[in-house]
Amino acid sequence: MSRENGRLHLWAFLQGIGFFPGGWRVEKATPDAVFQRAYYERIARMVEDARFDAIVFGDQLQGRDAAGRTPGRLAIPTLDPFTLLAVMAGVTSRVGLVATVSTTYNEPAEVAAKFAALNFISEGRAGWNIVTTVHPNSPWNFGEPELLEKSARYARAQAFVDAADAFWRQAAGHPAANAADALRNQWFDIAGTLDFPTSPQYRPVLVQAGQSPDGRNFAAQSAEAIFCPAPTIDAGRAYRDDIHERARALGRDPSKMLIMPGLAFILADTEEEAQRKHRHVLELADDQLCIEYLSESIGYDLTRLPANQPFPLDEICAACEFPAEDVRRMLTPAVEAGLSIADACRDYARKPRGHAIFVGTPEQMADRMETWIDAGACDGFTLQPGYMPSELELFCAHVAPLLQQRGLLRREYQGPTLRDHLLGEFRA
Amino acid sequence: MYLSISIDVSPRDGAAFARLGQQADRIEQAGADFVLLAHETGAGTLEPGRLEAVVTLPWIARRLATPVVVAALPAVHSVPFHIARALSAADFLTSGRAGWLPLLHGGARFDAAYGDAYHLPPGDRVAKHDDFIRATRALWDSWDQDALILNKDSGAYLDSAKVRRVDYRGPFFATMGPLNAARPPQGHPLLVRDLDDVAGSTIPADVVLGGADRLAGVDARGAVRLLKVTAATVEQGEALVRAGKAEGLHVAGPDAIDQLEALRRHYTRQPATGATARARLGLAAPANPYSKKVPA
Repeated sequence: MSRENGRLHLWAFLQGIGFFPGGWRVEKATPDAVFQRAYYERIARMVEDARFDAIVFGDQLQGRDAAGRTPGRLAIPTLDPFTLLAVMAGVTSRVGLVATVSTTYNEPAEVAAKFAALNFISEGRAGWNIVTTVHPNSPWNFGEPELLEKSARYARAQAFVDAADAFWRQAAGHPAANAADALRNQWFDIAGTLDFPTSPQYRPVLVQAGQSPDGRNFAAQSAEAIFCPAPTIDAGRAYRDDIHERARALGRDPSKMLIMPGLAFILADTEEEAQRKHRHVLELADDQLCIEYLSESIGYDLTRLPANQPFPLDEICAACEFPAEDVRRMLTPAVEAGLSIADACRDYARKPRGHAIFVGTPEQMADRMETWIDAGACDGFTLQPGYMPSELELFCAHVAPLLQQRGLLRREYQGPTLRDHLLGEFRA
Repeated sequence: MYLSISIDVSPRDGAAFARLGQQADRIEQAGADFVLLAHETGAGTLEPGRLEAVVTLPWIARRLATPVVVAALPAVHSVPFHIARALSAADFLTSGRAGWLPLLHGGARFDAAYGDAYHLPPGDRVAKHDDFIRATRALWDSWDQDALILNKDSGAYLDSAKVRRVDYRGPFFATMGPLNAARPPQGHPLLVRDLDDVAGSTIPADVVLGGADRLAGVDARGAVRLLKVTAATVEQGEALVRAGKAEGLHVAGPDAIDQLEALRRHYTRQPATGATARARLGLAAPANPYSKKVPA
């Protein structure tokens, strides 16, 4: 079964207009289409035709403003992930649909009901990327003054997943043995669950992106697939080994969890052309855009400062919305190197979110992916097109067929549910 | 004559998926003007359906290609930020055909599922319902309708002066904004109210449903009035619409789709123009009290 499914798993992480902040400005980009149903329907069909396991949408629980000023040059907003995945469910029959949902500013009843609906309308293809909320502006949108402390966030996350699972098991007619504890505890006081219509997959596939020790333990405990940044093969292997070790310690079978590092990419027929495209998309992120981009990451409006001067560190740290010590640590190297605000921001915007970036030909990308799989660095990749939709189109048309020819990627789906795609398990 | 109907699934129905699709296709074929994603009780009252409606709306709107599609949701348990965000996307992806129906009925089921912290005295439920609607609308108003620019050449994506924090503070909800979603094409998705469910709200709805007494007893203030009928009362209902007591009928009961099909044979669908459902229904675009737009 797992051989027919292929050794290499592909997830499409489709955030808005793509990976690079300047990507919405490239010639082929269609920033207006991001608000239209037809765009999502076309992409969903394309990803399914290329035999990806799943489509994933990220999420935030705050606007993109820094200290009240919303950036004018960044491509925002991103649409609600459930809504996009529900649209995609309507035009596909196999590809998995993974929504990012926080356990911090939600309730188990609502989240359980939403995933039950997504699972129902997709006939068992839902996945839940479980996150906790760390952005300092998010609590204000929910009437809370400040974030939960980190270990409390993870304790709530675990309790939340257990409670949601109790809802799904109850609705499927197989109540959880620990249901009473899962529903009434330090975090929740739930007196009854809700009726949901059933689906071939009793609950969504659980996905996680743990980095810190708390996060890794949480992932090792619950996750069936894990996102992570992995800049090198060694980093990937170290992460995978660590998660497997933690899972074994918790009595879980590590072969039942996939490690899926992020990989952004820009493709062209020749390496030179791909490099040119990469330079071009970086240039489209002009100074003003890059300054807005870093502003958002620290919660301070840098657009009001002279761009040719270094960061006034004390002034920024006294007023930024992110924790001052984190911001100081982040900006100090640029100040010590004597960089202007514009130069430092440009550097920052070149490597968004710390993920690996591939630039080259389809053949080279297939080689790279095969090398990583053979080295045990991962079970597949969470692909982030450099910009949308044209880079995704190139991957689906030119890289996916190469992976299939090499026997790495399935030619046909082996079952109807997302869990089938991950683990090659059919329904009982 | 507008025609409205509700649709839901039974949790015990093994063929629920196929049945829901078939029902949606029949309703689309018949030409409904409003489809409520809601559970209809035997007593003719609406409550949130077994299938979470905010997630279901964008999926089923593909098969229901012409009507306003309305998500019923538990008014006192929903969170303004999540609802504002999801319905913004739903309104964009349906080209301005999304509606919402915040309901108090069915509350006990949701009280239990959400936990004791959510228990409220009955008198506070309508107040919380109103606060929920105000907070959600404030988040939609955190963006001006024309905030997006999308100019690839100049690099201007949006006008920063047209997005702002709203810092809404009500008796039950506080929310800062801005929403991470643009103002929906309708400004605010259509607010639908079941008058048998919510009484005493201080917020006018865009569309109201109820029996003849209810519809006569409220100041509908320009709302589209839909009279609830069953097979037994449909003729009486038609007469009331002809007399100007309502603008349409909401058909209920086990044979509701048959009723809908029969009515549509007598009443041709009214042609209407407008970019969104709100415009086609002749309802005014909602004002944005947070907008700082200076008159030209």
